[in-house]
Amino acid sequence: MPLRVKVRNAESGATVDMELEGENTVEEIIEGAAGYWEKDAGAYVLRRGKKLLRGQQTVADCGLVNQDELELIPDPEGG
Amino acid sequence: MKPPSVLAGEEIRIDKRLPPPSERRTAHKWLKEDALQRYRDENGKGFELYISKIAEEKIRNHATSCVDHKREVMGLMLGGVYTHDEMTYSLVRDVVTTDLEASSVHVKFQREAFEKLFASLDEVGFKYVIVGWYHSHPGHKCFMSSTDIDTQKNLFNQPYHNALVVDPVNREIEVYFMKDGVIRTRDFAIYWDDFENPYHGTTIRKRVVRSDPDRMASPH
Repeated sequence: MPLRVKVRNAESGATVDMELEGENTVEEIIEGAAGYWEKDAGAYVLRRGKKLLRGQQTVADCGLVNQDELELIPDPEGG
Repeated sequence: MKPPSVLAGEEIRIDKRLPPPSERRTAHKWLKEDALQRYRDENGKGFELYISKIAEEKIRNHATSCVDHKREVMGLMLGGVYTHDEMTYSLVRDVVTTDLEASSVHVKFQREAFEKLFASLDEVGFKYVIVGWYHSHPGHKCFMSSTDIDTQKNLFNQPYHNALVVDPVNREIEVYFMKDGVIRTRDFAIYWDDFENPYHGTTIRKRVVRSDPDRMASPH
């Protein structure tokens, strides 16, 4: 049964509603959201509350539930 | 298996809001003479970026704390995006950081320190937008390196996004942004306002000691 989550773009405050399957990975969620906002998926991390969601974890592994709110956080690099 | 799908999106909402008034703003003390002149010229018209005194102090203290080790520091600038008189501006109310992987020429958040960063984000006490990032160039002056430009292009490519670079050794500061794929400098002001203080209302107040009339009257 698919579940619906909200992903917030911390850099703009914009949000998207996404539909996920239990086997979808965090990496895929980041790619979906970053793609929507035309961002480079590799430069972001995803959080659920204070927890960092790891790229290869699945929706089921992370224990995501319907109506969860996730946030896309930039991972900058300076030189 | 179906990949994740986006069902609907809600775009950024830019509210109308008065910028900090001119009597509550000042130039940063580390501005170079040309930037200071630009500040004076722009002060009447208003700026596209205002940084709170609290955020500015945190950035400067963070950069200064790593001068001895000549290590770069970095963090995220939190605030909001507003509009006034057809001018869009960013307000930086606070900054957050976490443990860093850093050298004198490179800086990044430690992977295992993201949860500390998230805890700081939850503690700011206002609904934030990450309006940019800051990092230091200890002893190297202010400029955007190729790594910095990549970060700006990939992450902070909206006109309201800012890259603040500070050199705590030479005491210099500069803000950059990207427009039409080109990096430009941005003039900014430091502001102070009790109502913009993210910790407003949580300040420890000095206790008022009332004089006790009985005690005052009793002779020693």
